[in-house]
Amino acid sequence: MDYFSKKKNNNNDIELARKISRLIDKSKVDEYEIYISSSTDNELEIFEGEVESLSYSDSKGIGIRVFKEKRIGYSYVTSFEENKIIDCIEKAVLNSKITNAEEINGLPLRSEYRYTKEADIQKYIFDEDFFKVNIEKKIELAKNLEKIVKGKDKRISGVDSLNYSDNYSEVTILNSNGFEDSYKNTSCFLFLNIISKDKKDTSTGFSFLYERNPQKLNLEKIAQDAAAKSLMLLGAKKIKSTHSDILLDSLVASQFLGIIASILTADSVQKGKSLFKGKIGEKIFSQNINIFDNGIMKEGFSSKPFDAEGVNKGNTQIFKDGILKTYLYDCYTARKDKTLSTGNAVRASYKSNPGVGISNFYLEPSSDYSFNDILKKIDNGFYVVDIIGLHSGANPITGDISVGAKGLWIKNGNLVFPVKEVTIATDILSFCKKIETIGNDLKFFPSAGFIGSPSLHVKDIAISGI
Amino acid sequence: MIDKETAKKVLNQLLGSGGQFSELFIQKKVSNSLRLDDNKIENASSGFEIGCGLRLIYEDSTYYAYIDSIEESKLLESAKVLRAAINNSNINKSIDLNDSYSNYNVKILKYPDLVIPEVKKQILLKVNEAARNKSDNIFQVTASLSDTQEEILIANSEGVFVKDFYVKIFLAINVIAAKGSEVRTGYKSLAKSMGFELFDEKKPEDVALEAADIALNMLDAINAPIGILPVVIGPGFGGVIFHEACGHGLEADAIIKNASVFKDKLGCKIASDIVTAIDDSTLPYHWGSYKFDGEGSPSQRNILIENGILRNYMLDIKSSKKLKLPLTGNGRRQSFRDIPIPRMSNTFIDKGTEKPDIIISSIKKGIYAKEFSGGQVDPATGDFVFGISEGYLIENGILGNPIKGATLIGNGPEILNKIEAIGNDLDYSPGFCGKNGQSITNEVGQPTIKISAITVGGTGA
Repeated sequence: MDYFSKKKNNNNDIELARKISRLIDKSKVDEYEIYISSSTDNELEIFEGEVESLSYSDSKGIGIRVFKEKRIGYSYVTSFEENKIIDCIEKAVLNSKITNAEEINGLPLRSEYRYTKEADIQKYIFDEDFFKVNIEKKIELAKNLEKIVKGKDKRISGVDSLNYSDNYSEVTILNSNGFEDSYKNTSCFLFLNIISKDKKDTSTGFSFLYERNPQKLNLEKIAQDAAAKSLMLLGAKKIKSTHSDILLDSLVASQFLGIIASILTADSVQKGKSLFKGKIGEKIFSQNINIFDNGIMKEGFSSKPFDAEGVNKGNTQIFKDGILKTYLYDCYTARKDKTLSTGNAVRASYKSNPGVGISNFYLEPSSDYSFNDILKKIDNGFYVVDIIGLHSGANPITGDISVGAKGLWIKNGNLVFPVKEVTIATDILSFCKKIETIGNDLKFFPSAGFIGSPSLHVKDIAISGI
Repeated sequence: MIDKETAKKVLNQLLGSGGQFSELFIQKKVSNSLRLDDNKIENASSGFEIGCGLRLIYEDSTYYAYIDSIEESKLLESAKVLRAAINNSNINKSIDLNDSYSNYNVKILKYPDLVIPEVKKQILLKVNEAARNKSDNIFQVTASLSDTQEEILIANSEGVFVKDFYVKIFLAINVIAAKGSEVRTGYKSLAKSMGFELFDEKKPEDVALEAADIALNMLDAINAPIGILPVVIGPGFGGVIFHEACGHGLEADAIIKNASVFKDKLGCKIASDIVTAIDDSTLPYHWGSYKFDGEGSPSQRNILIENGILRNYMLDIKSSKKLKLPLTGNGRRQSFRDIPIPRMSNTFIDKGTEKPDIIISSIKKGIYAKEFSGGQVDPATGDFVFGISEGYLIENGILGNPIKGATLIGNGPEILNKIEAIGNDLDYSPGFCGKNGQSITNEVGQPTIKISAITVGGTGA
């Protein structure tokens, strides 16, 4: 099964980028940027002791951004024959003819930015040991996990999904101002969703794990998490509609934080799509909350030596003691606000133009309260273990949030019975004001970035049930 | 693209180690997208992708690989490496490839690559202008227009050989309105499997006005109520309730994994007598339609629920063999990079007999949910939620105040039995559905329906 085992190839994407740049040089654009991403991926799904599916891919794509008369054009291609690359360049130039010209369009300037990568970060995001694990070992690992989780409790009736995936990728950027660099990255991810049944009820529970190398994956932990989550919700019932305190599990809190993060980009603020527009210097949270976007965090899965435009990533404090300090910027939005990029240019893939986005975005934990300490503070409330429908139930522009929730009811500091099929609803600004206590249990949730929060105790939230 | 002989060679190469099923899926895709935001065309992008996915099945295991190339030598080489995943005695199967047949036939008039970029730009400028002219309260318009032209070739060891061509256009419009401190959004899309003649059929400005109306209507919204209420769900995108609450649980992979509440329910009564639900990939030019699915099976009209009785699941090749049920043409994939899995196409509750205004007037106190922002389901439990983006109170049979921030939460099987009335105004709405990391084109649909009781999650009284 050698094909499925990854090898570190001697990638020559910088050479390829230089070859492309010589082709673009002929096309009379003012500035350009070549983005190449090479990636090998394994995906493995186990079902009832067998490999349900195993897939392997080795792919590469090129995205070309050109600037001509202050207009931007973009095009991408996955074929590397010269004529296909020439077509791609021509399309980018053609596309630049229909976009709007703006004086501030352009590459990051050498006079403003460092143009050398943050060398330290490379060693945290790439692990040589990644390549020591062959596919047979990965299959064994995933099969083991199924056995471990099924052995946790006899009420666990099955595994809905058990997926292992990993990725080795290399990103290269070359621009016409002289930026030329690349970085590589390894990661692996386990996702587990299990089903528990008793005579009357069915419940599900998921958990996930990520590491830079598969040897570090702690199977016992993910199995325990998923089992505990699913079992604690068995026999859940609906409750009467009410207003009460809620205790958001750190993973749920991270998802709420993700909604807030999405409107802290300068792009959304400048276009009037953010409730935080014009609120720099205002106290948004009632508590002294600190929120950071740290693109160079050792353990951060969104850490990179440079961002999607080649600007060094940094550590930006967005909220200090509950006060909004800054937004997140790429070069374009920074020029608009007459400031500098915070290194927050991101791209979903080589298929997309850079835009502004978060990296490792987190709410700083307190040192004062463990999860249990917070629990003890609540006389009557709802511990939210999981939410669904966040994508459709939260509108970051209007600020409305209404999502489905399941969890456990809290009475006099104790978890008393499981609850399901209720919604919790609030709006972003009220939510910020109602955060009462911050836990010490920071956990990260990988989504569009890497978002982290401790458990949060929030006062007076509307719960809808029967 | 490649010819039958080359396809045969690759398929045989894949089976060389004793695999039971081999398949190749070639895709060549040209796409363009254009985005308007903040009164500017801020992004124009084009892409070209070509590649081949190779699939090999042995017993219950699927092995998959793809390459960004369709050169014969590379395909044969990849096939050889992929087949090393299994090690069985070599049984040589003779493969005879035959052109597959489908009833689905459409004619494309204006191919996207023949429409000059300036024309596409004008469409977005008209959208922007129409929405902004509607009211001074409208302060932001974001619109994107994307088109794709795709060539597909599918061949498998059971003799399927399909060559196909698709053209798709998608226009999405987001409008933001503000009055005082209230900010509201409106979203509408127009998408079909056809060329730019789409805009001869429907003016982009009209779609813009619909999006603007939603945002403007919602400006005076009050907080949504909480608790259990009767709810009338509007036609078109309201069908997302069926898609989430029921459709995903009828996709056969969920049945096989014992992760669906509809397992072992074929022939059983699972919904009110008045409910008939259909998945139909043959509706001409619809967003979720196709000639062949991602495995080369012809598109079909499948009755899922007939007068409340569960008649069929949605299957792909693998699940059809496992469950010993006929293929339904629902094996779909996002691209050559993905393994096909059972997916919906155009899925809707079929039309009933009642007039929509009579349905609304039958409710003393309740909610009218006109538009939704989407939803999510846990198929194993049937629990779902969906967010209302345009909704109104119903008081004494009449539409009242608009409501904001409302979500509906419930359980699929329970809700199906609470559908009390179905209107005669069947309509459809296009979108994208994500599952197992694959996003595909989908249409949802329904007439106006009434659900006797469902939990409404707002913040009001």
